[in-house]
Amino acid sequence: MTRVVVITSGKGGVGKTTTSAAFASGLALRGFKTAVIDFDVGLRNLDLIMGCERRVVYDFVNVINGEARLNQALIKDKNCENLFVLPASQTRDKDALTEEGVEKVIKELEHLGFDYVVCDSPAGIERGAVMALTFADEAIVTTTPEVSSVRDSDRILGILQSKSRRAAEGREPVKEHLLLTRYSPKRVDEGEMLSYKDVQELLRVPLIGVIPESESVLHASNQGTPAIHLKGTDVSEAYTDVVARFLGEDRPLRFVNYDKPGLIKRLFGGK
Amino acid sequence: MSAPVPARPVEFRNASIGATVAVLRETRPHLVADALHKMLGGMPDFFNGEATLLDFGELGEAPAQIDWAGMLSLFKRFQLQPIGVRNLPPELATSARQAGLAVLDGAELRDRQSGGPAIDSVAVRQTPDEPTPPQPVPEASPAPIPAPTATMIVDRPVRSGQQVYARGGDLVLLAGMSNGAEVIADGSIHCYGPLRGRALAGAQGDTRARIISTNFGPEIVSIAGVYKTFEQGIPANIAGKPATVRLGGDDNQHKLGIEPLALD
Repeated sequence: MTRVVVITSGKGGVGKTTTSAAFASGLALRGFKTAVIDFDVGLRNLDLIMGCERRVVYDFVNVINGEARLNQALIKDKNCENLFVLPASQTRDKDALTEEGVEKVIKELEHLGFDYVVCDSPAGIERGAVMALTFADEAIVTTTPEVSSVRDSDRILGILQSKSRRAAEGREPVKEHLLLTRYSPKRVDEGEMLSYKDVQELLRVPLIGVIPESESVLHASNQGTPAIHLKGTDVSEAYTDVVARFLGEDRPLRFVNYDKPGLIKRLFGGK
Repeated sequence: MSAPVPARPVEFRNASIGATVAVLRETRPHLVADALHKMLGGMPDFFNGEATLLDFGELGEAPAQIDWAGMLSLFKRFQLQPIGVRNLPPELATSARQAGLAVLDGAELRDRQSGGPAIDSVAVRQTPDEPTPPQPVPEASPAPIPAPTATMIVDRPVRSGQQVYARGGDLVLLAGMSNGAEVIADGSIHCYGPLRGRALAGAQGDTRARIISTNFGPEIVSIAGVYKTFEQGIPANIAGKPATVRLGGDDNQHKLGIEPLALD
């Protein structure tokens, strides 16, 4: 059975694409045959983050329109054996996505034996975002510890439970996970950011992980390498934990406490 | 050959209709006509043969008699179809009946106020099908409301941008509601969990409705159109705590009281 997972948020710039790339890579590293689809038609980014932008010949819209076969459009990832990228079209707009078209592509991925299909949703609550979540079995709602981001995530959770296929057909609701990104324990400690407990209290969705704010994310994006591959960084560790929790393993929450630098550290510098 | 006679040639059913209420503050037809003409000057077809109730509740001084024929033809000229009167001085009721108008008293009517523009001698009010948002001028509904029956239960959180309306009954929220959400009930609202958005109880005017929450933190609460916002923040003794909202006692129906609620 193929599981469709949507990475969504409502608000832009919270790390949906970074998370899609890292999460899909993490699933593939665990041996699952995984496809990651960029739903951000017109503003495609996923291929950049995955480092495959030069290999894009056909895209998602071509497949929907029957101009290319799915096999031609799927790009095999350079890092993971089991991972394939379906890039968005840069020259179309979101109206090119039709419910029938998206359904056809997901059904075909199912036929090809994929275990997971990860849908990278565009920001907003319009057509692109709705199409990305329509066929979802599970949703990872990405939120930064800011009030506006939390409010937008709340809105998208409502849309998820009203517009998804599962909701429309009265099946078991889409399983929700909350992922906090760009989390800075120091700023939380200083009262400049909401804590993960505050956010969880506001959204009432189980927390699947906390990704710390880190410069390595920027480096990863610029290199075209999903952040989970940056061995030894806290971001990579945090995403590995997220994948483990998603697969039902129990992992303690990390990177959420701020240790005040001691006297020695303050005297001799260091971050 | 004659057509077969149906088994029950006449059958009575109950129905409620939306009617336009014309609040008359003047009964001399030519003055009302002037006002209507001024109001609808460019649009004599503004109304579309709508059923109309003539309301005399705001009449200053009761006239000795009313020119019903003149009034009826006047309203018909403006595409309004008077079907009845209310709040009419009793001595005029017989003449209204003779003119073919139903004389209705308050108990048969439910009316939701809407702040339409009122001019000197005539004001037109619409009784909409959907609940109107709370009005700036709170006004308790005069008519007793039938007891709510159906209860609506919502198991999942009501999220920002979602709206839930429990028509004709109570609303029970089992997973709370978020900021930016709106819940409306004709009866009371019971919220187990955080109450954070807009909660409007007694939407059809039931002044006995209440809002009950185990974690009080709304943007706005309203009962029967009397509302309260929390620009200055929610008082500390109820913020995030169990609380109940209701309209003040008989002497003061226009004030919302919010009290802490003791849970065991």
